[in-house]
Amino acid sequence: MSDTDDTSSFDPVTVFEPTEQDLRSGSDDCYKCSTCDSVCPVAAVDSSFPGPKFQGPEQWRLTRKEDTEIDDSIMGCSNCMRCDGACPSSVPLSQMHNTARGAYVEQQRFASDAVAALRSGAFRRAASIVRDGVADFRERIRNRLLANYYTAGRFASKLPRVANAATNFGPTRWLLERVLGITSERSFPSFATQTFREWWADRGGSHVENPDKRVAYFHGCYANYNTPAVGKAMVRVFESFEYEVLVPQQRCSGTPMFANGRLDDAKRHAETNVESLAEAIADGAAVIASCTSCSMALREEYPELFDIDDIDAVSEHTYESLEYLRHNEDLDAVLSESSGDAEEYVYHAPCHARNQGLERQAVELFSSVDGVTIEDVGDSCSGISGTYGWKTEKYDNSMAIGDPMFTEMEAAAGEQGMTECPTCAMQMSHGTGYSITHPLELLADILTDDPSASSDR
Amino acid sequence: MDTKTEVLVIGGGSTGCGIARDLAMRGVAVTLVERGTLTDGTTGRMHGLLHSGGRYAVSDQESAAECITENRILREIAHHCVEPTGGLFVSKPGDSEEYFERKLSGCAACDIPTERLSGEQARAVEPYLAHDVERAIRVPDAAIDPFRLCVANAAAAREHGARIETHAEVTDLLLDGDRVVGVELAHENDTGQSVPTERIEAEHVVNATGAWAGQIGAMAGVDIAVRPSKGAMTVMNCRQVDTVINRCRPKGDADIIVPHETACILGTTDVEVDDPDDVPESQWEVESMIETLSELVPILDGARTLRSFWGVRPLYEPPETKTSDPTDITRQFFLLDHADRDGLAGLTSIVGGKLTTYRLMAERISDHICERLGVDAVCRTADVALPGSDNPMRLEDAMASFDLRSPIARRSIQRLGSRSSSVLSIDEPNPVICSCEAVTRAEVEDALSEVGTDLNAVRIRTRASMGNCQGCFCAHRMAALLHPDHTVETVRSSLDALYEERWRGQRHALWGEQLSQAMLTRFLHATTMNRAHSQTASSESIAFERFDGGDDRGD
Repeated sequence: MSDTDDTSSFDPVTVFEPTEQDLRSGSDDCYKCSTCDSVCPVAAVDSSFPGPKFQGPEQWRLTRKEDTEIDDSIMGCSNCMRCDGACPSSVPLSQMHNTARGAYVEQQRFASDAVAALRSGAFRRAASIVRDGVADFRERIRNRLLANYYTAGRFASKLPRVANAATNFGPTRWLLERVLGITSERSFPSFATQTFREWWADRGGSHVENPDKRVAYFHGCYANYNTPAVGKAMVRVFESFEYEVLVPQQRCSGTPMFANGRLDDAKRHAETNVESLAEAIADGAAVIASCTSCSMALREEYPELFDIDDIDAVSEHTYESLEYLRHNEDLDAVLSESSGDAEEYVYHAPCHARNQGLERQAVELFSSVDGVTIEDVGDSCSGISGTYGWKTEKYDNSMAIGDPMFTEMEAAAGEQGMTECPTCAMQMSHGTGYSITHPLELLADILTDDPSASSDR
Repeated sequence: MDTKTEVLVIGGGSTGCGIARDLAMRGVAVTLVERGTLTDGTTGRMHGLLHSGGRYAVSDQESAAECITENRILREIAHHCVEPTGGLFVSKPGDSEEYFERKLSGCAACDIPTERLSGEQARAVEPYLAHDVERAIRVPDAAIDPFRLCVANAAAAREHGARIETHAEVTDLLLDGDRVVGVELAHENDTGQSVPTERIEAEHVVNATGAWAGQIGAMAGVDIAVRPSKGAMTVMNCRQVDTVINRCRPKGDADIIVPHETACILGTTDVEVDDPDDVPESQWEVESMIETLSELVPILDGARTLRSFWGVRPLYEPPETKTSDPTDITRQFFLLDHADRDGLAGLTSIVGGKLTTYRLMAERISDHICERLGVDAVCRTADVALPGSDNPMRLEDAMASFDLRSPIARRSIQRLGSRSSSVLSIDEPNPVICSCEAVTRAEVEDALSEVGTDLNAVRIRTRASMGNCQGCFCAHRMAALLHPDHTVETVRSSLDALYEERWRGQRHALWGEQLSQAMLTRFLHATTMNRAHSQTASSESIAFERFDGGDDRGD
C-alpha cells in the first residue's frame, strides 16, 4: 500500500494559525502615574468609574488566560481616547479598552454558557446565567442598535421625511426610552432628503480628472445620511484645488461599534472599507475623512484591532480633510487673501481630533481670514462621545462632562458653533441652542463664491 | 525570661512551618523561631514551581515520584496557594531527541501523567513560544505561592497551639553535657532594635534552617557540611506564558519560566557560595538568563523586568560524596540525627530537599521526633486542608458578594481562599491599597492584625507592593494603616524596611521601564515626601496647622 492510500496516516498540512495574542505586555509601559485618570472626562464626573488605568493596564495585567470576565465598568468608558494622548509612556490604553469591551460584550452572550452549565448539570448556575443575561439583554439590543447607526441610517434614508417625523414623535421617544434606554432628552438628527451618495451619483461623480491629485473621500454615515452639506463642501473645496475626488464603496468606520464593544460588526464593515480604500490608494489616492472619529478609526483603531490585508496601507494613507490640505496646499496664503462673511465662531476641538494632533487647525486656519473671528473653547470634552450620550443611564454624565464646554461657549463672543465631529456638534447644539458648522463648510464658502457651485450646496 | 516547650523548631521557612504544623497536629507543644519574617530565607526566594516531578524523571526518579505524590496532595490541602498552570518540557532544534524520549518514559515510570505535543500544539497552548520549538511534553507542573503556603502552615500550627515567634534570632544553643536543652533568643522590637534575650528550654530542638544549618550546628560544636548554592531569579512584569515552561535537556542554567500570580519568574543559576548571608549578585547572571530563556519565549527579550533576587539552595550531601558541580548534588533531603551522628542528643537537623516535598520532609522528621519523645500519634497533614483551603466554594459565586471590581474580587478570593468572607465582608468602604496586585484595605488590615507592624510580613501575605510599581503607590498607603495605633517612629521604620526590601530587588532591573518607574518612585518618595531626609529639611516638626487656614501673614 502506498502512502497516498493510507488515509489513516493522512495529516493535513497545518499552516501556523495565528493564535490570539494578548495585551498583557501592554502593561509593561505603565508606571501607574495616573495621568490618564486625571484627564478622563468620565472619571471626573462619576466617582464610581475606576478610570482608564484600571480599565487598561491594570485589568490586563491582572488577567490570566483562563480569566474571562471583564469588569462591567468598561461600559462606562466613552471611548473619547483622551487617555491615549495623556499617557507619557505610550501605553496602548484605548486598544486595551476596545479589546476589553469587545470581550465584555462577548461574555454578555449568555446562551451558550447557560447550555454548557445545563449540560454539566449545574442547574442553579445555568439559572443565574440566564437571569443575568436577560438583565443585560436590553442593554445589548440598545447598544447593538446604536452601534449600527449605518444600518439605521440606510433604512431611514429610504423615507427620510417619514423617518424624521417618526423618530422625534413623542410616543416613539417615550417607547425608545422605556423599552431600550435611549434618552428622550435629545432630538434625533434629521435625515437628508437626498443622501450625499445620491447627490454624487446625480452630479455624475467627479468634475475633475487628475491622476496626479486624487483623494478618496470617506464620508462616513453622518455626512451621507444627515449632513450631505459637509460632503458637498468637501467636494467643492478639493475640486477648487484641482483634486479628483473618488467616492469609494464604504460602510461604517466602526467608531460606534468599538464604543459598544461590537468588534465583530466593526470587523465586517472594516473589511469592506479596507478593500475599497486600498484599491483607491493603489490608484494613487489619499483617503480623506471629514469626520475626525472616522479618520481616527481608519488610522489607529483598525491596525490595532484587526488583521486585514492592506490595513496598514489604509492607516498610513488616511488624513482628515483640513489636515491634508494644510500639508499639501498653501492654504494660509490663499486664506489670508480671502474674506468671509463677518461671523464669530466658537470652536470646540473633538477629542478624536485632539488625538490626531489636529485640535488647533481650524483656529489657526480661520484666524487669518478677514472678517472671521474664531475662538477656541479650550480642551473640554463635549461629553456625548458618539452613542454614549444617547444612553439614558449615561445622559446625566454626558451633560455633566459637557458642562464646562457649554459654559465656555456661552462666555465666548460668537453664537455660531464650529467642530469637525458630528456628535460633538449635536451636543454643542443641545447644550447651547447654537447652530454648528463644519470647518469644511466655512472653507467652501470662503474659497468658492462661484455661483455655479451653488447647486452643489 | 525563661519559657519551656516540648519541641523548638528553628527556621520559619516551608520546612520549619511544616514541621511545626505536623507536630502541633499530633498534640506536641511546639515553638517555632525565625530570625526575620516567615519565608525570609530560601522559601521566599524560589521560583514558585510546584514540581510535577518531570524535572527529575530521568536523573532522580525517587525525587520525581515524591514530587508527583506531594503535588497531588498540595492541590488538595493547599489549593488556595496553587495555580494549576500545567507545565511543558519543550525541545528546540539541537536538543537531544533521545533525552526527550527518556523524559517521557521516566515520567511514565514515576506515575507522572504526560502528553506528547507537536510544536504547533505547544504553540496553541502558549502562543509566545518560539516558532522553532519542535515538540513538547505536557506535565502537571503548577505554580505555588511559597509565602501563602508557609503562612498557612504557621497559622495551622498556631491553631493547634504552637507558638510562632518571628524576628527572634537564635544566638546560642543551650547545652547540658552532651545534650541540647534549648536555645537563647534575641528578639527584635518594632523599630528594629534588639531587646533582651529569652531562653527557651526544649526537650528537642529541630534545626530547619536549611542553608544556615551549619551555623546553628556550630553553636553546639557539630559540623553540618551544607553546600549552599545560589540561584538567580528574575521577575518579569507580566505573564508572557500561563504554563510553566521547562527546557527539555539534561541540565543547564536558565531553563525554566514559571507564571506566578501577575508575573513570570525566570530561573535559574546554580553556583556554590561560602556564606548564605553573603551572596554575590551579578548583573550578568540576569542578562544571561533573559537571553537564554528568550530562545524559548522570544518576547522576553525587551520585556519589562521588575526585579531579580537570589535564593540559596540548602544543598547537602554526605561529606564523603564530594560532588564538584552543585547541579549534580542530589535534591534529596537528609535527616541528621545528631545523637547518632555526633553523640549530641536533643538536636535534629534537616537539610537538602525542596519546597514541593516540604510536607513529606516535615512528616518524616516529625515521625522521628515523636519516636524520640515517645509520642504515639500519626501524621494527618496530608488529609487535613490548610487554613484558606478548608472550605471549597465556587469562585464565581464568591466574586459577586464583596462589591469589588471583578479582577480585584477574583484575585482577592484566590489569595484568601475560604478566609475570603471573614476578611472581605466588612461594613465599611474597602478601597484598593495596592492596585497593581488588587489588594484591598480589608486584606491589608487582616494581615496587619496577624503580624503587628512588619510591612514585609504584610507584603508576603497579601502581595501588596509586589506589582509593577514595586511599592511606589502603595508602600506609604500600607504604612498609613499603622496610624494611629503605632508611634510615628514605628510607622517610619516599618516603611523604611519595606522600601529597603523593594529596592534590593529592583537594583537589578534598572533599565527601560523599571528605571523610569524607579525614578518616579524616587521623585514621589524621596523628594515629595522627603523620605530621603534632605538636609534642607528642618529638624523641627512641620507646622501642619499653617497649611489649614493659610498663612495669615500672607497678602
